[in-house]
Amino acid sequence: MHFELNEEQKEIKRAIKEFCEKEFTPELALELDEKEEFPMELYKKAAKLGFTSMRIPQEYDGQGYGLLEDCIVVEEMCRVDPGLGAAVSLGNLMIPDVLLKHGNEEQKKKYIPPLARGDTISAAAFSEPEHGSDITRMDTTAVKSGNEWVINGSKEFITNAPVADIFIVLCQTDPNATPSHRGQSIFLVEKGTPGLEATKLKRKMGIKPCITGSLALSDVKAPETSLVGELNKGFYYALELFDETRIAVAAQAVGMSQGAFERAFQYAKTRKQFGAPIIKFQGISFKLADMAIKIEAARMLTYKAAWLFDQGRLDPMATSMAKAFAGRVAMEVTDEAIQIYGGYGYLADYHVERFHRCAKITEIYEGTTEMQKLTIINRLMKTM
Amino acid sequence: MKEIFVLAEHRQGQIRDIAFEMLTKGKELAEKTNMDLTAVLLGKDVKKHAKTLSEYAKKVLLIEDAKLENFNSEAYQKVLSNLIKEHKPLLTMIGHTSFGVDLAPSLAVDLNLPLATDCIDLEFENEALIVTRQMYGGKVNVRAKVRKSKSYIVTVRQATFAAQKPTMNGEIIETPSPLSEEITEKRFIEYVLPPPGGVDITAADVLIGIGRGIKDENNMPMVEELAKAFGGVLACSRPIVDKGWLPSDRQVGTSGKTVKPKVYIALGISGAFQHVLGMKNSDLIIAVNKDPNAPIFSFADYGIVDDLFKVVPALKGKIYELKGQKA
Amino acid sequence: MDIIVCVKHVPETAEAEIKIDATGKAIEKTGLVFDINEWDDYALEEAVRIKEKFGGTVTAITVGPEDADSTLRKCLARGADKAIRLTDTRFEDSDGYAIAKILQSTIKSLPFDLILTGALAGDDGYTMVGPILAELLGISHATMVKKIELDDGVAKVNRELEGGLEEMVEVKMPMVLTVQTGINEPRYVSIMGIRKAMQKEIKVLGLADIGLSENDVGEAGSWIKIEKMFVPSVEKQAEFLKGTPEEVSAKIAEILRARGLI
Repeated sequence: MHFELNEEQKEIKRAIKEFCEKEFTPELALELDEKEEFPMELYKKAAKLGFTSMRIPQEYDGQGYGLLEDCIVVEEMCRVDPGLGAAVSLGNLMIPDVLLKHGNEEQKKKYIPPLARGDTISAAAFSEPEHGSDITRMDTTAVKSGNEWVINGSKEFITNAPVADIFIVLCQTDPNATPSHRGQSIFLVEKGTPGLEATKLKRKMGIKPCITGSLALSDVKAPETSLVGELNKGFYYALELFDETRIAVAAQAVGMSQGAFERAFQYAKTRKQFGAPIIKFQGISFKLADMAIKIEAARMLTYKAAWLFDQGRLDPMATSMAKAFAGRVAMEVTDEAIQIYGGYGYLADYHVERFHRCAKITEIYEGTTEMQKLTIINRLMKTM
Repeated sequence: MKEIFVLAEHRQGQIRDIAFEMLTKGKELAEKTNMDLTAVLLGKDVKKHAKTLSEYAKKVLLIEDAKLENFNSEAYQKVLSNLIKEHKPLLTMIGHTSFGVDLAPSLAVDLNLPLATDCIDLEFENEALIVTRQMYGGKVNVRAKVRKSKSYIVTVRQATFAAQKPTMNGEIIETPSPLSEEITEKRFIEYVLPPPGGVDITAADVLIGIGRGIKDENNMPMVEELAKAFGGVLACSRPIVDKGWLPSDRQVGTSGKTVKPKVYIALGISGAFQHVLGMKNSDLIIAVNKDPNAPIFSFADYGIVDDLFKVVPALKGKIYELKGQKA
Repeated sequence: MDIIVCVKHVPETAEAEIKIDATGKAIEKTGLVFDINEWDDYALEEAVRIKEKFGGTVTAITVGPEDADSTLRKCLARGADKAIRLTDTRFEDSDGYAIAKILQSTIKSLPFDLILTGALAGDDGYTMVGPILAELLGISHATMVKKIELDDGVAKVNRELEGGLEEMVEVKMPMVLTVQTGINEPRYVSIMGIRKAMQKEIKVLGLADIGLSENDVGEAGSWIKIEKMFVPSVEKQAEFLKGTPEEVSAKIAEILRARGLI
């Protein structure tokens, strides 16, 4: 067993740390948390340095590293700021992954390099108002008409929808398929296509710089060439994608936990009550020790899941354990961080409340904690 | 009798303060160790300065040469090297200035003499030189022994020793220049003044000085608003100019301006000597810094150990409140 | 254009609390973060920019322990082509003079047109390595450089003087230039850069490899021997205002009003 990052991974960690500490300023974080705006300039800057395309192969202008290296970057971004970190780490969500696996060469060449370079933003439109965790049936339909498809329906909770240049849309292409998920397909739709309209969802609890939106599709025409992979395989492609993004979400959770922990730790060392720094009181110091234990455990689960994935031995149970545990740890650690700050922790200017608000999403998106537990128990039922 | 040399730095027709500061320290050392104090003046048309210097030293060694008109480390090195070989002074003092740091290290190698740079104190123990200098940006002092030698070279930090009034009536000794040919490896071309900005910080009554602690360009409006509230002007330490957040004519310190406002409010400035030298004579200094050990607190009249991002908005509010205006 | 950049791996102390260690001659290093010396960071950036404009190579050299590899890798990731680390226990306690000798004995056998380094190092602040190196190599130098224009064997450089003034001097190549901060804006390390850097080798040389003797380096080969390190005594201390930001602001406002400044 080997429990240490290699030299190259350490260099990656150092580079992203330096970038985030200089660029993800607390002031920008507060401003965009309030304005609910995507940090476009920051995203492009990070992309030009390769931080947003870790897993995209070099031939498509990416960096050609694995999921573990990606996790290192995502974790560090979210450590420095959970909102900016989430936004920047999700800028080219899913489209490169799905195209690399199932896209044709033309689609790959057209869409992946600009996403890798940060010139464009992607959005994956799977969830619908009536279908969140359960995507086995889609109300959004794509109907063949001549040599093109006509898409109608609506999508909800779509990350990046209002700022994206390119979308993948999961549609029911065979309404009569049984089970229904065998009749779903994924289409690429570009921004500006007539009938496509995105609306910004406002007043989210956290990760406010990461823009979420609804998507309305009304007679959106998609040419045959926009179909990704094979017809009626969309559901399976979507599930595969979650295997990767879930691990990245676990990394977000670890980063948010670490960031809140470090702030609370520094605060406890300097805040004096009853004539001593509060870290001298076991009520506080034991809390901090517990936080450190939990974060390290969450990190190990996350790195292990990422490592398995990079070895080509994807283990859905390891992935789900990492996401469920890291998400819970993030909630607990950020909560305790506020507690250590006391009254100040309740104020936005002291930042830890933002970590707590942001952390909650890691228990929800890319499969709720309950869905992860379902995966875990199903696997255990089969193997034990 | 052994000598102490002090190189009298001058620029654009003026002897620089550091020369008088070193002559003062040099006199003290000379008296303690029973040595002669000699000012060394190299240049073109500098006789009038020789007279001034003679009031501070036992002797003034004067060499006039058109090739010495402007500072050139190579020309100065040749001439000084000759003088040191000939006179064998126990100590040669050179300012730790932009000229000094260009000259002293290569001169020391040339003569194979030990050099101690940026000294803030000097003393002799039986002809062995002990220096005090700073490390880690002024956070610690070091007392160091200089390798035993018959002759030492030091560079002395500016504004460390207060120049005293002249008391002597020294002899001026002019000697011919040893430079026979033009220096071709290195050539002075011209002085360059950075383009003037719109604001003269030396004329302001209230200066808000900002430093590294500002952290991000996005925080500039916040401190600009505070300056506005005071009816004052923003000034800064070096890192702010390096980052391009303020033009170089706002820089306070050795490589910038020297200011003496009625009040200087230092925000996120640690207090490195390069900055402090430019503002320590302000009438009133108030410093805000997170680090209770920041050197700036040794120069400030009032100190606040806190996050400047919390103090600045509160202070702005209070100022407007006092003025009976809305922010 | 072959450029050599001399860099130093130093602890970041600007915002850290510093303690003197048990020897009384050095600071406590544990807990401090080490990185490339700030002035050298600008020198490296300038070297890479010159290479990008005129072609050639950039070689980064450091004298330091194995940990200094992280500074060298940063140089490689930011555009240096080669890196050399000079490491030997006998190099410890070297002052600027001894460091310059170690550098010179290595550099003299390398091809170069230009040597760049920081005007000073943020740890010891000697401000001497560059010009000593030049003198030992028998070439010209200019210190405190804020602008470099290269043209056919000569460089026109702006040197920073005091009081906001600069002087322009012309220096013939080969030469050593020591760089002042603010001369450029150093770039971030990119992932592409790290990938390239990891494929490059860091050459490690010791005392025996560079043809110096024990007496040339370390404390024996230095001009300066540190006897004692101490935190400077405070002659004057500010009166500290305590309280919430609102409370201290009210106090400041009152002090200023009392003096007729508001």
